[in-house]
Amino acid sequence: MTQVRKKIILLLITLALAGWPAAHCLAESGPESATLDRLANLYEAVNFNHSAHVDITEGNCAECHHHTTGAVPTNPKCLKCHPGGQESDSMACQDCHSAKRFEVAYLTEIESNTQLYHIDKPGLKGAYHQKCMGCHQTTGGPTGCQDCHVRNEKGDEFFHAGNFSPAPVAHNGGH
Amino acid sequence: MNNLAKNGFSPVVSHQKKDGTTWTVKEKILLGLTPKDYLAQQFKNPFNWILAVIYAIGLPIIIGRFIYGLGWVTHSSYDYPWGLFLGFGLFTMVPLSASGFMMGTTVELFGRKDFKPIERLGLLNGLLGYLFAVVFLQIDLGQPWRLIYPMFVSLGPAAILFLVAWHVATYLSCQVAELVPAFAEWMGLPRAKKFIKSMVLGLTVAGIILSTLHQGALGGLFTYAPGKVHPLWYSSPFMWFHFFCSAIFAGLSMLIVVSTFCKWFMRWRCDQTFLKSLDRLTLGLSKGAALALATYLVIKIIAIAHDNDWSYIFTGWGQWFILEISVGVILPLVLYTMALRNGSPALARTSAFIAVGGIVLNRLNTALITFNWDLYQEIPHWREMVIVVTVYATYIVVYRAILARMPILFSWKEKPDQ
Amino acid sequence: MKKINRRSFLKGGLAGTAVVAGTAVSKESSASQSFGGYPDSMGVLVDFTKCVGCRSCEAACNKEQGLPAPDKPFDDMSVYDEIQHNGQKRRTSEKAYTIVNRYKVKDREAGPVFRKFQCNHCNEPACLTSCFVNAYTKTKEGAVIYDPTVCVGCRTCMIACPFYVPAYSYSSPINPVIKKCIMCYDTRLKFGRPPACVEACPQEVMTFGKRKDLIKIGNARIRSNPDKYIDHIYGEKEVGGTAWMYLSDVPFDQIGFNTHIGEQPIISYVKEFLTIVPMVLTIWPALFTGFHLLANRKEALKNEKPSGKE
Ligand code: SF4
Ligand code: SF4
Ligand code: SF4
Repeated sequence: MTQVRKKIILLLITLALAGWPAAHCLAESGPESATLDRLANLYEAVNFNHSAHVDITEGNCAECHHHTTGAVPTNPKCLKCHPGGQESDSMACQDCHSAKRFEVAYLTEIESNTQLYHIDKPGLKGAYHQKCMGCHQTTGGPTGCQDCHVRNEKGDEFFHAGNFSPAPVAHNGGH
Repeated sequence: MNNLAKNGFSPVVSHQKKDGTTWTVKEKILLGLTPKDYLAQQFKNPFNWILAVIYAIGLPIIIGRFIYGLGWVTHSSYDYPWGLFLGFGLFTMVPLSASGFMMGTTVELFGRKDFKPIERLGLLNGLLGYLFAVVFLQIDLGQPWRLIYPMFVSLGPAAILFLVAWHVATYLSCQVAELVPAFAEWMGLPRAKKFIKSMVLGLTVAGIILSTLHQGALGGLFTYAPGKVHPLWYSSPFMWFHFFCSAIFAGLSMLIVVSTFCKWFMRWRCDQTFLKSLDRLTLGLSKGAALALATYLVIKIIAIAHDNDWSYIFTGWGQWFILEISVGVILPLVLYTMALRNGSPALARTSAFIAVGGIVLNRLNTALITFNWDLYQEIPHWREMVIVVTVYATYIVVYRAILARMPILFSWKEKPDQ
Repeated sequence: MKKINRRSFLKGGLAGTAVVAGTAVSKESSASQSFGGYPDSMGVLVDFTKCVGCRSCEAACNKEQGLPAPDKPFDDMSVYDEIQHNGQKRRTSEKAYTIVNRYKVKDREAGPVFRKFQCNHCNEPACLTSCFVNAYTKTKEGAVIYDPTVCVGCRTCMIACPFYVPAYSYSSPINPVIKKCIMCYDTRLKFGRPPACVEACPQEVMTFGKRKDLIKIGNARIRSNPDKYIDHIYGEKEVGGTAWMYLSDVPFDQIGFNTHIGEQPIISYVKEFLTIVPMVLTIWPALFTGFHLLANRKEALKNEKPSGKE
């Protein structure tokens, strides 16, 4: 049980460790590609083509990396604290978007640290998907789960799909 | 049996036979007929054939309910967790059985000894109604064997149903006790009768308290569902009073109905005191019923005014509500009043039948028809209907069997033909 | 299923100590405070603007709660076209504690709205107050759990729940019981961990946290995106407040929410009757014994006997 639960969360924690350590705003300094395989329990590893996405954003790193590359934010609210952009020590997603977003330590931190402004940052998995899906939906990129993640057997079992599909049953009561 | 009585047969009314020997229990059960005559008598009655058909279909389904579960006899609705068993069974039987505490109150507390001839019928009607309400409940409960859990295993005293469970259980014992005298006379156990007589006042007062509360509590149960019961039927502050007040006329009307059936179909079993006083008593009961109906009508209207539900009156549900009120409340109220003015027991009886129908409609409306009024209408499974019919048939069978034997409609004598 | 013995409870509990310690502080003060729920209870904020309808949460719940296999695979999106034969969309059942439904909304750029729902874990749960065997418990962590070993099967909680949540295992003849989401209390919440469905969601539609913090977060989202969100956190106040709360960019009544439900907890509708109970219990005996004495006195006078007894 616990294992499987972990799988779900860890699915994209993998992503954090594996990929997207964009070093500088210079698009070309980012990695060519990254293998995202922490979700191996349910899905095959994803080969994320970073440079292709650099092309798509026409080198505008801030499209995904916010102000962390030093780009000037377009959102006036962000500007208040990050005027003229503010380069971060790290622009890797995982360094800001916690893979343990809902663990006790994180929750305690956002509750007790009254200085903290960003109390509503998505966790790592959420950050990835919201960013990817947000863009894919408007630009016609792939949006189906398996368009990016090829499900493995464990995944089929989890979804009761593929070889684990339920036998077709007659409607069994219960409105 | 009425025919038999016309031909000179007289059923057991005393411990002693004409020749001075005493009846055995077996003979008492067979009403003084020989087993052969008794069976022949039963076969001749067409009503028994109807019952046989009902049982032939109904019993296997009741057994099936306990083997295959509720899912087999109902539509397993999550949105309508209470179906016919409670809506048409429990919620209808309980108010119709309010006669028990009212007859007790009238005779024992208010000292209206003139109602004595019908007191026992009222008490029996109460007891059987409650008993079969519990039967319905036991069929409906998912785990009937856990019925005692709220009493002894895991108590949820803040819940209304907890109150209902305790009160119905206590009240059932109360009613059994109140009917012990009839049973004791029949069995020839004078001491038991004396013992109960000594505590009849306590029992009666307990009966009133318990009845007020659990009749009201059944209405209170629906206050848990403010969005689900239609606003015209729903009233947080008045719901319990609606249920309690309507139980008064329901119980009285039911008593008139039952006594009418006794007069028609069990005349052979009624003694002259009962038959002669019945018209007068019917009018007496009508008076009570009419008063309760009038009160009920007023608080129904107050409840609508209180919640300002007037706008609903002009919807389809509103018309249905008006229909229920006019046919189920105003019509019997008018008829009862006319019957009282003209001294017509026949009219009072007609009115009683309508009032009973009205109360059934009201309970069905609250529990099933207007429930989830903005979702969809649930039509109960046919097996559910069959079970309800079967349980009601059993109710009639038991009712009839007791009336035929115990001194309910007649008074017990020491020797025959006195 | 996943029975946890005491030892593993303690072990796993270490991870949750922080939350537990945090809640323990206010335990005393909360004991006297019966309204509004436990102050440090947890909750989930569900943001429908983010849901893509992938049904991962349904699959996760199925696995976590050890529920029977579904009728259709969890990646089968045809369930969204299902209309039950009573014209309703899918709802929670004995086989599914959470359900995602699709609502077509006119002129919504992002297409249809997907709505996940499950037990809302009310602050003052109607199910709990209506149960006559006290099967339900509102834990200090915020979950509304129940003890199936005492469930009699009266199904009053199903009548009482304003959100139509509890289901019943009608199909079982031997041990039918109430079935509903328990916020993964046994396996997760108790140890300070988020529910399985929350964790499984790729889109982080659900934010797990202290209820009071979630309200702040919800308000902040509305405030920073006033054009996007409906200015309402459904569940903040509804029926006395719920642990699971919702944000939406379309009016809530268009996606199957009851918006006429009011802010009173269900128990407040029932109190009117409960208050008359002690009155009847105390006044009736005196009143009716009095009637009896009066009535019999009249009779006694009439009969010129010393006592009214016959
Ligand atoms: S897992 Fe998340 S995105 Fe997918 S259906 Fe559930 S709530 Fe929506
Ligand atoms: S949503 Fe329904 S079942 Fe869940 S806690 Fe509230 S009343 Fe109970
Ligand atoms: S909280 Fe747990 S039980 Fe409830 S819906 Fe989510 S996974 Fe299922």
